[in-house]
Amino acid sequence: MKTSDKDINIVIEICGSAGEGTISAGEILSRFMSAQGFEIMSFDAYPAEIRGFGKCVAHTRVSANPIYSPGKLADVLIALNDNHAISQLSALKKGGILIYDSQPPKPHEEDESVVAQADAETISYGVPLTMLAQKAAGNARGRNMVALGALTALFHLDRDAFTNSIKDRYGKKKQIVIDSNVNSFLEGFDWTKENIDKADAISFQGVTPPQTKAEQTEEKLIINGNQLVAKAALDADLKFYAGYPITPATKIMEILSKELPKHGGTLLQTEDEISAIGAVIGAGYGGIRAMTGTSGPGFALMTEFTGLSVMAEVPAVIIDSQRGGPSTGIPTKTEQSDFNAAVFGGTGDCPRVVLAPTDTTSCYDATVLALYLAEKYQTLVVILLDFFLSNSIRNIDVPQKPAPEMLNANIAPDAADLAGYQRYKITDSGISPRTIPGTPGGMFFATGLEHDAYGRPNYTDKGHLAMTAKRFRKHANVLNEAPAPVISGSQKTVDIGVISWGSSAGAAHEAVMTAAEKGISGAGFSSMMLSPFPEKQVKAFAGRCKKILIPELNYRGQFADFVTRIINRPVERLNFITGRPMASEDIVEKMKEM
Amino acid sequence: MPTHDHYVIIGNGPAGNAAAFTLRENDPDAAITIISHENICFYAKPKLVKYLAGKVDEDALAVKTMDEYRRRHIRLRLGQTVAHIDPDSRSLHLAHMETVHYTDLIIASGAKARLLPSMKPYADCLTFVTEFNDTTGLRKKIADSSRFFIFGGDLVGFKFLKMLTDMGKQVTLLLYPRAFWPHRLTKEMQDAIVKNLAPTNADVLADDDLDTIVPEDRGGYWVTTKQGVRTQADLVFSFNGLIPDVDFARGCGLDIDHGILVDETMRTSLDRIFACGSCAQIYNPDINTYTTSIGWPNAQVQGKVAGLNLLGEHHKVRPAGRKYFDLEGVKIKTAWWEDLEKDEDA
Amino acid sequence: MDMNPSDMAADTARSLYLDEKLAQVREKDFLKYRSPDLPTWCPGCGYFGIMDAFYKACRELDLAHENICAVSGIGCSGRTPVFINSYGFHTLHGRSIPVATGLKLAREDLTVFAMAGDGDALGIGGGHLPHVARKNIDITFILFDNAIYGLTKGQSSSTTPFETKTNSHPVGNPDTPLNPIRLALAYGSSFVARGYAGDPEGMKEIIKAGILHKGFSFIQILTPCVTFDKANRTWKALKENVCSLNLHLPAPDNMESAMRAAENEPYGVGIFFQDKERPSYQDILRQMQRAK
Repeated sequence: MKTSDKDINIVIEICGSAGEGTISAGEILSRFMSAQGFEIMSFDAYPAEIRGFGKCVAHTRVSANPIYSPGKLADVLIALNDNHAISQLSALKKGGILIYDSQPPKPHEEDESVVAQADAETISYGVPLTMLAQKAAGNARGRNMVALGALTALFHLDRDAFTNSIKDRYGKKKQIVIDSNVNSFLEGFDWTKENIDKADAISFQGVTPPQTKAEQTEEKLIINGNQLVAKAALDADLKFYAGYPITPATKIMEILSKELPKHGGTLLQTEDEISAIGAVIGAGYGGIRAMTGTSGPGFALMTEFTGLSVMAEVPAVIIDSQRGGPSTGIPTKTEQSDFNAAVFGGTGDCPRVVLAPTDTTSCYDATVLALYLAEKYQTLVVILLDFFLSNSIRNIDVPQKPAPEMLNANIAPDAADLAGYQRYKITDSGISPRTIPGTPGGMFFATGLEHDAYGRPNYTDKGHLAMTAKRFRKHANVLNEAPAPVISGSQKTVDIGVISWGSSAGAAHEAVMTAAEKGISGAGFSSMMLSPFPEKQVKAFAGRCKKILIPELNYRGQFADFVTRIINRPVERLNFITGRPMASEDIVEKMKEM
Repeated sequence: MPTHDHYVIIGNGPAGNAAAFTLRENDPDAAITIISHENICFYAKPKLVKYLAGKVDEDALAVKTMDEYRRRHIRLRLGQTVAHIDPDSRSLHLAHMETVHYTDLIIASGAKARLLPSMKPYADCLTFVTEFNDTTGLRKKIADSSRFFIFGGDLVGFKFLKMLTDMGKQVTLLLYPRAFWPHRLTKEMQDAIVKNLAPTNADVLADDDLDTIVPEDRGGYWVTTKQGVRTQADLVFSFNGLIPDVDFARGCGLDIDHGILVDETMRTSLDRIFACGSCAQIYNPDINTYTTSIGWPNAQVQGKVAGLNLLGEHHKVRPAGRKYFDLEGVKIKTAWWEDLEKDEDA
Repeated sequence: MDMNPSDMAADTARSLYLDEKLAQVREKDFLKYRSPDLPTWCPGCGYFGIMDAFYKACRELDLAHENICAVSGIGCSGRTPVFINSYGFHTLHGRSIPVATGLKLAREDLTVFAMAGDGDALGIGGGHLPHVARKNIDITFILFDNAIYGLTKGQSSSTTPFETKTNSHPVGNPDTPLNPIRLALAYGSSFVARGYAGDPEGMKEIIKAGILHKGFSFIQILTPCVTFDKANRTWKALKENVCSLNLHLPAPDNMESAMRAAENEPYGVGIFFQDKERPSYQDILRQMQRAK
């Protein structure tokens, strides 16, 4: 029996077909756990394998302690659909718990039930989900709620609080919808309490959550990366967003289409991603904060415009929420394989800023910073999200709103500058004071052609060199405003240094801590700023690590290649492209091998 | 040579496991599946009482590891319940609506706690200890409780009583003469037992019967006997022996009395279906009747015999003669096959 | 005249003499909308006429220089903003429309022009035209249609007539040309007009009407490429064929007759169609937001 709050650290997966309420059940579970004062990290996966067509999985990690990664394997699998859940069994821990429909709508052929396919170690509880839902509401729709009721009974969760979470979720719906969900939940709860002999050790009885409810309901946001990016953008005075629907970035556009007009901004759904970034650059040229969001294929289309943003020195922010690639790739799986495209993609010597949030909270910071840097440095800023960061839900503290100086970053010319105004004046910082249209006396011509200080086309070797140097100088100076790299673990010389980026960073830092408990001396390094990259710091870090490990979700280690060139020594790599996020367990395992 | 045989064993106790391992030793190719409604690997039931008393932990219950099954390619379907048997299509219908096909079937589903017909109205108030599933949560409850009422008194019941009094718990025993089913304790036997239990400091009631059990709002129960004794208890246990767990097999054509009727070769009335262990009622030529058996060694022998006979051999379980054994100092005649004493410390 | 395009793109030559001359011309009022930079187009190019009409239109509407922004793509027409005394943005090939759209949505106070050639707007950037039209973004789009790729020295474009010999199709263009006016009408443009580079007054009126039109204005200008098209759309051919639409199209408010005119009168100039009632994109957004 688990009695101390420290012990609560479990992963619950709900697996079903699209339309079976899988995702909403996961959402309610997350909200409930958060309201109970636990840390949560949850995400929905829509695996693309043929067998699992229509399959979706709501994955939730619940912990009394801070969470850095989603957890590799599930402790509990709730199977709303046997067919789909069978393919999800591989993600269930040995000795894990399976809750399945013991009276499904149709009988199974031999070996086609999920319980038949489960490992013998699995503790399986059959609950007549369909039957109880029918009983509660007259139809099978409430199976997801029945399953949550069973879960609540099994783990001794707070039934009434859970009921309230369900009511909250369906609060705006008709009373009959609320009732049938609540009734299904209670039916599952009662039946399980009555009929199931508990054979597992998970229990929330007597567990004191880390925070009291009063503390956290006020201050916690339950939010995913996409939502947080949208929120941050609004807080950072975004006035224009152009986008084209593409998984997994579409949600950002959908949220902003609702919110931007309320904030005096405009949302434009364009005919393609080329048009989206074009409009963003147009708006940026017009002097307002503008952004677009996309994924691999759309980012590829935007490439030519990214060069224009850098060359014509027009602010633009692109969110690239990475998915499996190349080409159309795997739209619903997470990957970190756009590193090269974001940092190096395109033609010419084209320095651009690339930020990769490492967790949900930093999606906010990255977005605020991106809009600020784009405006101040008059350049392209790419925010690298990924499917996992976009969609995984955390309960986080409400972020601090950006400081006023973050909202008004354009360096405008003064009267002296305007006399014989040189839009692309060569300066030490590389930043040339910028006018926006409508400013008398500040008129200029922006172009993607190489140009002189006035913006007029100029192809001379000296001119090209001076302007290129200016753009690189400007880019390098961005580092002065970059957030410091996150360094975890031992401050001394260590056996293994784990250098990570993006959504894998949480798992990497967590792995360093876990490995320390197992006697492996390690330290972790991650930087939200990928371009320009904090080379000095990474060299200093590598200097005190006997071995370096770089885990990332791509085939051969794009970031590892990048870091290898900086630290000038070989590194160990941990790469996989299975579509699931990096887990600290993966990294610890690799560290043990090293 | 590959074979398409699929031997299915219902039950994961000593009989079922003996059958499965015997089958595997003698037939390396067939598919073998053990189905058990319990969510736990093969464990030592006799140790459950110690487990409940907190003297051993769950690991100590284990008899075999999962790996032993994996190595032998014996498939375990745990936590799965057989709802009924269809001998015509040679298939089993599981409670979760999956069909499992077999070529040969061995039923070794064991026994379950006997609920006395008179106790049916109070079933919800009673706690039974027959399998691991019953014990979840109970261990902590026992540790947290101080007053116990035990109704009945069979082998396990007395063992449990001693365990509780050793823990310093307050125990009331209502001795029920039919607890040691199918035997009836005589007045003399009961008196002897009461005398022999005296050192335990348990309150022992005899010549009485249960009248009512009334749950209290704040937990616990008021137990009243026919003689008017009122006792408060946190938990009320019933130890009134076991009955074969064969409900799922009824109505499929098998001959069933208390248990599934089998001959000395463990064959049931239906082709390719065997039964063994405490779910079986075995023909005893010495007394010319069918009797049930309990105990680990009996089950093992029967499981092995069933396994070998399924493969075409012709073994018989041999009665080891009439036996006596000790129920709290009282000698009771039995007609079982093996010596139960071996069981004591299993 | 055989001129190397890379020469055209070279650093703008400036001399005291020219500065002086320009100052003189600029005094002629409308030329104040002209920038000090010398156009890089070939002598005799129709674009000079288009720009004169443009300057005059701005002058007559008395637009403030700093509130004008001309957005162009790539091609001979791409350089246009350099020669306008205003804000200007020379973007990517085919992409003037998206950038102009973003700019206008960001800054409704500006008068935004998108300028593109036939290769730019109907070829590489052809996908944007339907959407800017159906959205009715309030920009004035000027199509510099010389039916050839000039800057890359004479390849067939989307409006090069069938069988015309070009550098990419030496035995004749196998492609059927697009009809820009019909496309613009079909896409739902709320203002569709055609001008002729040899008729500055007519063009000026059309451009003025386009600027004043609240919504997307599509203006095709027929212009020769004097360098790479010596046979097809020459000054001579244009002069002989161009006629006024007014003779045939009494009022430009009928889509059907506009379509017919677009089909039957490849050289007809004037306003084909205008829907004065239709709200612009930003007006629609405001209406919807209010209605919510």
